[in-house]
Amino acid sequence: MMDEFHVSLAPRLSAVRSLSRMVEEFGDANRLPHPKVYMVNLALDELITNSVTYGFDGVASPRIEVTVRIDGDALVLTTVDNGRRFDPTAAAPPDVDAPVERRPIGGLGLHIIKTFADRVTYEYENGRNRLTLEHDLNPAASKGRRQSDEEHR
Amino acid sequence: MNIEVAEERTDDALVLLPVGRLDSSNARAFESIVMERIGGGERRLIVDFSRLDFISSAGMRVLLIAAKALKTADGSLVLCAMKNHIQEVFRISGFDRIIPITESREAPANGSA
Repeated sequence: MMDEFHVSLAPRLSAVRSLSRMVEEFGDANRLPHPKVYMVNLALDELITNSVTYGFDGVASPRIEVTVRIDGDALVLTTVDNGRRFDPTAAAPPDVDAPVERRPIGGLGLHIIKTFADRVTYEYENGRNRLTLEHDLNPAASKGRRQSDEEHR
Repeated sequence: MNIEVAEERTDDALVLLPVGRLDSSNARAFESIVMERIGGGERRLIVDFSRLDFISSAGMRVLLIAAKALKTADGSLVLCAMKNHIQEVFRISGFDRIIPITESREAPANGSA
């Protein structure tokens, strides 16, 4: 059993699948609750898709580093990339109350992962984006269903 | 990447059962299947989630496109048999308020007549 894994990958959509299997194996090995493993995989799908689609225009050697670790009572996902500077914590949330006719087709992924995470931190340092999502593993401490909208308004 | 989608029919609806993962790598393939069925004249679609383990916003986007297309065509889209953690994602997104979600295929949709 190990309480951390780290991968460095070239951003491609196909990377999401192999990464997801690794996260599941890590979850099994550490007996993590399934919904938390699901949240990490959801976040990785969203973040890597965003990076591949928007993040690396003109970047010579695109790279994303992914670390998943258990830190005390928290499951911590960190992504570091050398793509365009982008602060997901500053992105405006979508209007989740809009009726079907007025729903924009995109913009949901970040809202979902930020809402599920107990803590989200973003830093830009030495030309690299570093995003950390923490999920509390102790159910009493976990906010889980936190409505993150207010802090963005 | 492809996605396996089983299809079944009830008296008045086509039931689609995506299998495994519906994520950014195969959402386009799922979109083609769904839009082909709508283009072929299907007006009542049920997406049964019982064999789906994972959906990301790329997959949800396809459901939103289908819901919009069916609404324009006076049709309907219903989602059923979702696992709890998936239903939570739909709740956070507000999707549960724009696309009916039922326990099972037979259960009436919330809020429908």
